[in-house]
Amino acid sequence: MEAVKSVEALESLRHNILASRDEKQAIITICCGTGCLSNGSLKVAAALKNALGRAGLEEKIKIKTTGCHGFCERGPITVIEPEGILYQAVGRKQLEKDVTDIVEALGKGEEPVTRLLYKELETKQTVTHYHDIPFYAKQRRVALRNNGIIDPKNIEDSLARGGYGSFAKALRMEPEQVIAVVKDSLLRGRGGAGFLTGQKWELCRRSQGFPKYLICNGDEGDPGAFMDRSIMEGDPHSVIEGMLIAAWAIAGGQGPIQGYVYVRAEYPLAVDNLTMAVKQAREHGLLGKNILGSGFDFDLTINRGAGAFVCGEETALIASVEGRPGLPRTRPPFPAQSGLFGKPTNINNVETYVNVPSILEKGSDWFKSIGADKNGGTKVFSLVGKVNYTGLVEVPMGMPIREVVFGIGGGIQGGKKFKAVQTGGPSGGCIPESLVDLPLTYEGLSQAGSIMGSGGMIVMDNETCMVDVARYFLGFVTEESCGKCTPCREGTRHMHDIMERICAGEGREGDIETLERMGKAIAAASLCGLGQTAPNPTLSTIKYFRDEYEAHIRDKKCPAGVCKALIKYRISAEACTGCGVCKRNCPVEAISGEKKAVHKIDEQKCVKCGACRESCKFDAVIIE
Amino acid sequence: MSENTSADGKKRGSVLIVGGGIGGMQAALDLAEGGFKVHMVQRDPSIGGLMSMLDKTFPTGDCAMCMISPKMVEVGRHPNINIMTMADVREITGIPGDFKVKVHHQARSVNPLKCTGCGECTRACPVRNIIRIPERPVPPALPPEWQTLLNETVEAYGGAATSLISMLQDINTRLRYLPQEMLSNLAFKLDLPESHVLAVATFYNAFSLTPVGRHVIEVCSGTACHVKGSRRMIDRLREQLAIEPGCTTKDDRFTLRTVNCIGCCALAPAMRVDGEVYGYVKISELPKILKDHP
Repeated sequence: MEAVKSVEALESLRHNILASRDEKQAIITICCGTGCLSNGSLKVAAALKNALGRAGLEEKIKIKTTGCHGFCERGPITVIEPEGILYQAVGRKQLEKDVTDIVEALGKGEEPVTRLLYKELETKQTVTHYHDIPFYAKQRRVALRNNGIIDPKNIEDSLARGGYGSFAKALRMEPEQVIAVVKDSLLRGRGGAGFLTGQKWELCRRSQGFPKYLICNGDEGDPGAFMDRSIMEGDPHSVIEGMLIAAWAIAGGQGPIQGYVYVRAEYPLAVDNLTMAVKQAREHGLLGKNILGSGFDFDLTINRGAGAFVCGEETALIASVEGRPGLPRTRPPFPAQSGLFGKPTNINNVETYVNVPSILEKGSDWFKSIGADKNGGTKVFSLVGKVNYTGLVEVPMGMPIREVVFGIGGGIQGGKKFKAVQTGGPSGGCIPESLVDLPLTYEGLSQAGSIMGSGGMIVMDNETCMVDVARYFLGFVTEESCGKCTPCREGTRHMHDIMERICAGEGREGDIETLERMGKAIAAASLCGLGQTAPNPTLSTIKYFRDEYEAHIRDKKCPAGVCKALIKYRISAEACTGCGVCKRNCPVEAISGEKKAVHKIDEQKCVKCGACRESCKFDAVIIE
Repeated sequence: MSENTSADGKKRGSVLIVGGGIGGMQAALDLAEGGFKVHMVQRDPSIGGLMSMLDKTFPTGDCAMCMISPKMVEVGRHPNINIMTMADVREITGIPGDFKVKVHHQARSVNPLKCTGCGECTRACPVRNIIRIPERPVPPALPPEWQTLLNETVEAYGGAATSLISMLQDINTRLRYLPQEMLSNLAFKLDLPESHVLAVATFYNAFSLTPVGRHVIEVCSGTACHVKGSRRMIDRLREQLAIEPGCTTKDDRFTLRTVNCIGCCALAPAMRVDGEVYGYVKISELPKILKDHP
């Protein structure tokens, strides 16, 4: 591939690619994001290829592997283009038959395979087309615009969708103009803190010292959030383009700038796809020296993280890129003044960068109009937990939580009762059912005692113990605290010890008050964001679910039936059919009973692993 | 010390205090007031220790010098205290109550009785700022294949010390852990302090300093997996394998770990065995998954 030497050459390349493509070409796209991969999408792709070969349709129908569609719950997701027919859970039960049926229906131009189509949960009606499924219909895709549509390993796919066009546009603008547009769009940091992106760029542009550095924060550490992973895997070229625009805005016409992408160690596929994308962009002259003949130089290095949550904090991330342990430091000086290797550095989240090309393409007013007051654009949430349709959803800022959980997520699994939704990971809080009409904005969430965070949204039902959730997050920060400052290192450990005691049925009067007092002290005295926000899950659950804490402490009961020390398993005599499945699955032989007679659990032997309850088909094992 | 009588039954009335910091001084004063003869050994030219270098103290913010200087004067003046500066203990023999201590006293070359501490001699001395760093000892030799791996890895990143994390990752991937000798040699090659390399290797979760088992089980303990019961999964595995998370079974077959989130929240509860993801795992399926990995 010869490097593209000018903006005009890029446009003509795009034109050629589009001209060589037939809009009516039948394509089977298969999602190969991490979720669908583990559901076996590679096997589906191979089987489809064979089936097409057998039917002699190899020429007529193409196969494309794409990034994440977001509907991970129903994976592997397969979409037939150009009609947009969505087949779900292909090959999970009967691979060969599914694949043969799909190819047959396509080859003969018949009706789609009904049994693989999406079915409405309540009405059981099938929905044929992608865009009619409520999960997708209520979303607004900006950051995920190319996810699931393009093949992330093929730059031509990206170019055909307008990739690098916004960068070409930016090159014709003054860097200050670019900053003004981004500032005006009200795009705020998608990593969670919500700082105005344009303002951050402006600060960095005004700082003296070269080379400047540009870092993309892909260290998505919040447990329960995976949008950055999906974007890096499914649309790496948009990340590169966003960074190119930022680089031009920050250092264009001033001096040299160098880029880094810091990707979490647990995301090998994201590293592969990004590495491939960077290589292709270099070959096309979109990274490197004299990009598009503008005289502007920019290149990217990909750094793998090594499994430390605190490295998502910008100063810790910088320390890690420099090859040191990821310990945060006090600010100021801010990275915009003195960051990587002591030079002005701009750090943004993956999702923030990916929004930038769309803003330049369609204008700041368009972006502003999508969101709510002071919150421009959309936000991707990873809707997970006890909800029917888990996956990635992108919605306009300001959408009420109810709409996301019930409208898009299809409500609570098994028709159970909705209890709370947790946002912001270990730094966020739990929002109770009473506040479910809260709009999803930075301000709205922080008023409720939570934060936007990177966009994890974990739905909880009445079988989730809020005390256990708070303990879980405290355990998490205790492990992940880097140990540099005392309030975070010692304080979270003590809070965790108290929580462990409460969950073990040894809670004491006054524990709740101690937790509250300690929480406030840790939040006030810690050095970095990790410590300052570490007590949030605990404080917010105490605020909204104090009765559950009291039940644990005073009555020694776990209302949700989660805390092992406070529950007992029992087999209901009415429901038990004596099938013996529980007996076979019990690891400690605590269950006795003759075939077809009611079984019994020996409390002395029971280790409360829950294998019996999970394997019982008649819901006969109950928790007391 | 529970006894203060020696083998011959006689009591000895003197105490040796090693170190003349704030703790040592307070102990010396208490003992001296109680009627004991105190010998204080201090390596530095003056008593006072670390506290004399501090400004404010945590948590009250009190001035360190205000606390320590009256004590220094008192210790210096007390008739029961004998201060030995520029000295260190070389040998201790005897039993509780009757110790014999050999103290090595460095030459001061200044007569302390006449010296007023004016500092003129330091200003006049022409020899200064000479730092003597002992030559770095060469680390133990590596087996040839490790040496090749080390050379290749360092070369791949152009020997840049800033790429230390990536180098460690590559070595960790190849050997499945970071052997101590490897770290020493890497530090030597990059001319970094060994403590720095070790600090990085122990800070990040991705590195293991001990060999891992043939199969690595990583149970996701992200929030989504947690609310769907990953803790019970860990408990079951812990019981079945009889190891704690982070440990390896005795037969080197399995290493059990928990990871914060593998980003497969939609498949919760999820786990990974040797990199392969298992979604919607049921507790009752665990024995079979283990069995599939001999």
